[in-house]
Amino acid sequence: MSRLLDICVYSWSWLATIKIFLVIGCLLWFLLSRGLPTLSKELFFGDAPVLQAIFGQVRVWDALWPACVGTLLLVLLAGLIAVPLGIASGIYLACYASSPFKRILSMSVELLAGTPSIVMGLFGFALILFLRDTFLPEANTSLLLASLCLALLILPYLIFTTQVALESLADEYQLIGPSLGLTQVQTVFHILLPAAGRSILGGVVLAIGRAAEDTAVIMLTGVIANAGLPHGLFGKFEALPFRIYYLAAEYQSPAELNSAYGTALVLLALTGLLYSGAFALHKTLEWQWNQH
Amino acid sequence: MSAFKIDNPVIEVENLRFYYGDSRAIHGVDIAFPEKQVTALIGPSGCGKSTLLRCFNRMNDLIDISRVEGKVLLDGENIYDKSTDIIELRRQVGMVFQKSNPFPKSIYENVIYGLRIAGEKDKKLFEERVETSLKGAALWDEVKDRLHESALGLSGGQMQRLCIARAIAVNPKVILMDEPCSALDPKSTARVEELIGELRENFTIIIVTHNMQQAARVSDNTAFLFEGNLIEYGLTDQLFVKPQNKQTEDYITGRFG
Ligand SMILES: Nc1ncnc2c1ncn2[C@@H]1O[C@H](COP(=O)(O)OP(=O)(O)OP(=O)(O)O)[C@@H](O)[C@H]1O
Ligand SMILES: [Mg+2]
Repeated sequence: MSRLLDICVYSWSWLATIKIFLVIGCLLWFLLSRGLPTLSKELFFGDAPVLQAIFGQVRVWDALWPACVGTLLLVLLAGLIAVPLGIASGIYLACYASSPFKRILSMSVELLAGTPSIVMGLFGFALILFLRDTFLPEANTSLLLASLCLALLILPYLIFTTQVALESLADEYQLIGPSLGLTQVQTVFHILLPAAGRSILGGVVLAIGRAAEDTAVIMLTGVIANAGLPHGLFGKFEALPFRIYYLAAEYQSPAELNSAYGTALVLLALTGLLYSGAFALHKTLEWQWNQH
Repeated sequence: MSAFKIDNPVIEVENLRFYYGDSRAIHGVDIAFPEKQVTALIGPSGCGKSTLLRCFNRMNDLIDISRVEGKVLLDGENIYDKSTDIIELRRQVGMVFQKSNPFPKSIYENVIYGLRIAGEKDKKLFEERVETSLKGAALWDEVKDRLHESALGLSGGQMQRLCIARAIAVNPKVILMDEPCSALDPKSTARVEELIGELRENFTIIIVTHNMQQAARVSDNTAFLFEGNLIEYGLTDQLFVKPQNKQTEDYITGRFG
């Protein structure tokens, strides 16, 4: 009887695992089969000459290049804003906050994590409306606003992973620093953070992936089709996920729909690139920490 | 408790009470530790050995619900005074933990990492400290040819001795050890016990152990704790051979939960 149960549990978990590979495989195959043929110079740059398009000397119409740049900048800015804030809050929660305050803070972070991304977008939009009505009549949705809202979106993940990574270090490991006569700050920065770095970086990577793919936030905060390359922090911009959405919703011909698949493939590759970049960074950090 | 006279105490504890939130874990302990001797703290699990030990370098301060009453005098100065420099206190009273936990760095760097982070830069001092500390921890001969290899490649016993070297690199007066051998095999344990005997020439050592044979082997004095009270304290030879207290006798003869 228990033997039978054993087999059932085993095969069920095996099937469940296989399912993941199946889903990923199907997805990739589908994307590749539809998207791969569309990958071409035209998909990226339209009729514009490549070099001039890359450097923004020629306007690119109906192609991916501005969206690639837009998404990269968006992710970079959101990361620049959110990563230092998130890690710092995580450190505070794990190493400094006292119990009652900690509970309130953790709850706020959970609330933030549970907020749907469209609400973050609405928040950004409302902020602009408010600014327009009050002291900044020229305020408008822009790259900076979208990055801020995206940063807000990924902030809770960053806080959580940092906090959990620090707190899950063995109790005794947390005591080594103090036992050697180091201050709390020295302990955090030279002993705990390096040891927790791996998991924190994992969280950063996931958060950045999340920022790259989100559409709801940017839709309300400054993305438009055919904005071209972003003109600075206060300009409108294009982004890959929005372009996919837009192409899929309003395509005029099958070829245009297929180019949406090509775009999806590019977004996937871009995210993969970000992941490997973070992975390489992590390796270097680990290497440095192991040096001397 | 029999009056146990100590001539040159390094640490003196007066009516120490310790609370985790509302629950009291140490109920008024008076004890003194003589200089350059090994004192063992024994007692059943949960009796407060670790808690008491961590009162001596204020490690318990890191638990925010904790509270201490009473006095702990280090060289006559109460370490719970407001004016105490905790960092300096912890340099004087070092600590070695149950699990050996070297940094994922080289052997050399492990020994001096504490000094380096604290702002020391003198290379010469580092080299000298590495040698004296590793010699002090009876590890020098085994690792002197591979100081710059990762410490994670050492055996469990070697790692624990490296952690002891790391603790003595800061130049403490007292070393607290919380079950330093409980994760080691018998051979490594023997090696660390031997080392404790040698450390006694330069340091005052307070060691928590579950292993009564170990207490009997390494210590000069032994204190028996039970449910947060100090039940008996005396010379190790006397305490194990002729305990004064019924509870002590029950514990060391193994007639105890
Ligand atoms: N962080 C803490 N918060 C609350 N209570 C604690 C904490 N640490 C220990 N205690 C309690 O204090 C009492 C003494 O614990 P302590 O760890 O000092 O015992 P111990 O003698 O070292 O036990 P062991 O031999 O198992 O290590 C126990 O009842 C324990 O449950
Ligand atoms: Mg203990």
